[in-house]
Amino acid sequence: MCDDITKQTVNILTPVMNKNDRFAASNRELLNGKIIYTLNLISSPGAGKTTLLESMARFFGSKMAVIEGDVQTDRDAERIRKAGCQAWQIETGGSCHLDAEAVNHALGHMDLESDELALLCIENVGNLICPSSYDLGENLKVGLLSLPEGDDKILKYPSLFSRISVLVINKMDLLPHIDFDVNRVIDECRSLNPEVLVFTVSAKTGEGMEEFCDFLENQFSD
Amino acid sequence: MHELSLAKDMTRIIGKVLGGCKPLDTVNITIGPLSGISPESLRFCFTEVAKMEGFGEPRLVITETEAKLICLDCDAEYQAKEFYQGCPLCGSFNRRILSGREFTVDSVEIMEGTD
Repeated sequence: MCDDITKQTVNILTPVMNKNDRFAASNRELLNGKIIYTLNLISSPGAGKTTLLESMARFFGSKMAVIEGDVQTDRDAERIRKAGCQAWQIETGGSCHLDAEAVNHALGHMDLESDELALLCIENVGNLICPSSYDLGENLKVGLLSLPEGDDKILKYPSLFSRISVLVINKMDLLPHIDFDVNRVIDECRSLNPEVLVFTVSAKTGEGMEEFCDFLENQFSD
Repeated sequence: MHELSLAKDMTRIIGKVLGGCKPLDTVNITIGPLSGISPESLRFCFTEVAKMEGFGEPRLVITETEAKLICLDCDAEYQAKEFYQGCPLCGSFNRRILSGREFTVDSVEIMEGTD
C-alpha cells in the first residue's frame, strides 16, 4: 500500500482521424494510379442516391463502377448491377457511415483493371451528419438533396454542406406539387460554401442528368 | 452517432501509445467547432467505451478551439465559435476555412502509486 499518489501525464498528440486518413490516402493513390475518378455521394435516406446512380449507369455503362454502403442488405448493389454496372455492397452492420478502411476492403473485391473504367461512385450510408467527417479517398464530394426533404435543410447540416464540391438537387419533377424554393437552397449552400456547383435533376425522368453527367465526364477526361 | 466510432478510435489510439489498457484518470482532447462532432454525444459514448475496454472511468476534458476563417470579400482574418458567425467587419459569409475541423487526443493522465 502506497499513499503517495501522483499523476503521470502521457502525451498522445494524435488526430483521431489518422487511421481513416491513412486509408483514404492509400485509396486515393490506388485510384488515381488507375486513372479512376471517384465520387463520394452523400444524402439522407430516400433522397434518390441509388436512382441517381441507376440513371448515371445508363449514361456511362461500363465506364462506371459503384460501391454501395448500407447498414443492411445488398438491394442497392443488385439495382446497380441490373442497370449495367459493376457494383460491390458494403454492409456496415449498424454503422451510420462508410470509412476509408471499409472502402479499401471493397476495392480489393472489385475489378479495377478494365481500361474503360473511369468513374467510381461510392454511395454512402443515408445520413446527412456522420459521413461528412470521413474522407474516403474520393476526388469529389457530392451532396444530394431532394425536394420532399424541404428547402430548409442546408443550414441545419452545415458540416456536410460546407464540405461538398457539388450539390445535386433531385426530384425536380415534383416542383409543381411541393413548396420548395430552389434559389433559397442554392443561396444558403453558397453562404456556407461559396464555390459549390449546383445541378438540378430528376433522376427518375432524366431531366438535367445529361448536364450532370457531362460535367463528370469533363472531370475525368481532363 | 459517429461519436461511438470516434470514441472507439480514441481508445484504440490511447491503447496503442500506452501499450495496452490501464485505468486512466483524465483524457485531454481538442475539438474544433467545424469538425462535425458533438462534444456531449462524444462524452456520453466515450464514458461507456472507456469503461468497457478496461480504461476505467476517466474524466474527459474537452478543449473547444475557435475556427480560423478568412473573409473572401474584405480579406479580414477572423475567428468563430460556430458555422454561423460571419465576418465581424463586413458581415459576409463568403469565406475560406483555415482551421476548425481538428479532433485530437492530446494526452492522458494516469494515477501512479495506487498499488
